[in-house]
Amino acid sequence: MTNESGQFRRGPAGGRRTFSPRPKICQFCTEKDTKINYKDIELLRRYVMEDGKIRPRRQTGTCAKHQRELASAIKRARVIALLPFVASFDD
Amino acid sequence: MRNYELLVVIQPDLEETALAEVTTKINGWVTESGGTVEKTDNWGKRRLAYQIQKQRDGVYILFLLNILPSATNELDRNLRFLEPVMRHMLTLAE
Repeated sequence: MTNESGQFRRGPAGGRRTFSPRPKICQFCTEKDTKINYKDIELLRRYVMEDGKIRPRRQTGTCAKHQRELASAIKRARVIALLPFVASFDD
Repeated sequence: MRNYELLVVIQPDLEETALAEVTTKINGWVTESGGTVEKTDNWGKRRLAYQIQKQRDGVYILFLLNILPSATNELDRNLRFLEPVMRHMLTLAE
């Protein structure tokens, strides 16, 4: 099983793989002072994969409300070229 | 009157005078439509995440505006026709 993300475990039915999200805390719920802002790319870069895709909630553990705000901030940052749409490694 | 944030990406190969002229023009549009520019923040030349109009760098300027909601689409149209401005984004400042 892919223990790297530690999420897939062999289910009771043997063959069927059960998916259990690792219990994680939402960064924005605990620390109240971090505001999600489309200009703050250091924060946004942590929630984006290397190739520029937005990380899913099961990897980052953020709650649904903050994930929606995060996604809209990342999409705004992409429009004004602070974040890449597709991170190409050649340039 | 509501608070807006206007972020503008301007061509990097613009000399200082033309850059100042663009900012004064934008300030003029805002004050003309009855709004005020609270703060202007020049981030200077930055590397773009992807090419815009074959340019790799851009000058970022952030404006904090206080304008009427009805004046925003007129400001947006003016910005669209302003040649040195490669990209602009007008958002509500929360």
